[in-house]
Amino acid sequence: MAAPADIAKAFTAHFYQTFDANRPALANLYQEGSMLTFEGTQFGGTAAIMEKLANLPFNQCLHTIVTQDAQPTHAGILVFVSGEIRIEGEEHMMKFSEVFHLMPANGSYYILNDMFRLNLS
Amino acid sequence: MALPGMNIPTEFPHFKLVLVGDGGTGKTTFVKRHLTGEFEKKYEPTMGVEVHPLDFTTNFGPLRFFCWDTAGQEKFGGLRDGYYIHGKCAIIMFDVTSRLTYKNVPYWHRDLCRVCEAIPIVLCGNKIDVKNRQVKPKQVVFHRKKNLPYYEISAKSNYNFEKPFLYLARALAGKRELTFVEAPALAPPEVTIDAADQARSEAELEQAKMVPIGDDDDDELNM
Repeated sequence: MAAPADIAKAFTAHFYQTFDANRPALANLYQEGSMLTFEGTQFGGTAAIMEKLANLPFNQCLHTIVTQDAQPTHAGILVFVSGEIRIEGEEHMMKFSEVFHLMPANGSYYILNDMFRLNLS
Repeated sequence: MALPGMNIPTEFPHFKLVLVGDGGTGKTTFVKRHLTGEFEKKYEPTMGVEVHPLDFTTNFGPLRFFCWDTAGQEKFGGLRDGYYIHGKCAIIMFDVTSRLTYKNVPYWHRDLCRVCEAIPIVLCGNKIDVKNRQVKPKQVVFHRKKNLPYYEISAKSNYNFEKPFLYLARALAGKRELTFVEAPALAPPEVTIDAADQARSEAELEQAKMVPIGDDDDDELNM
């Protein structure tokens, strides 16, 4: 079995590539029991999560991962990412942090918990 | 409030101006029209703000607005309190070609008033140069409920650029007779507004002032 760090690395690469290239496809990574806290607002279940993510008011964006850490949890993998996001029409990139709790299912992983924050004071 | 390293005038008054409204309503385009402000702006990455010093010359002497503009974080959700703190005046902007941006005006007003109590605020409807407007003058009623002035502007054509600043300057100085005696250097217009369209919307605005405001509009937030 692959090490948590390797799984986390493959997962985050896939997650942000999908976010930047084909956001609606992120739906495959969540399940009904999933939770997203996005800039302090909470969403539960794939439909609510995708409504938030798909309707963010920018089409083009680019995430760059700067650091990432992973740990095994009781059943899954906890991932902490820090990075930068650039969105269309804005001159400056912004720093962000995101935490994922990944759970195994059907030989793969899905996101049980997802917390996103822009790192702004 | 200026950022570290910015030139703070000691011989004339200055005020932090908070610019809010949905992403894409033209806040950055608007503030960039003022050329000296654009040359002397400063970016603060930890707060995600760009501060533009906007100087105006009035019949009572010079005055500077330190105009705070976001790096786009409002597209993710609300703004941090630090963006509003020490705000002495504010402009709430929406886009007349997007109904949703007008529907969100009450939320911006609430967030602003939560941190900045009783500061002068102006409501601006931007992009009136665009042919297909979705928010007509008579549909704009929020300012009447809150007793704010409302100006229709077109950042790209400089139309009414000075109006919101003049209102805020008068309110801050407490002098109704304050006027701007010298026009600030503005970027050349990128579009022109059809004179007939402009006359029509100005007439509609005047008419709208006469119509009583009902409770059936789309002001979702009851405050």
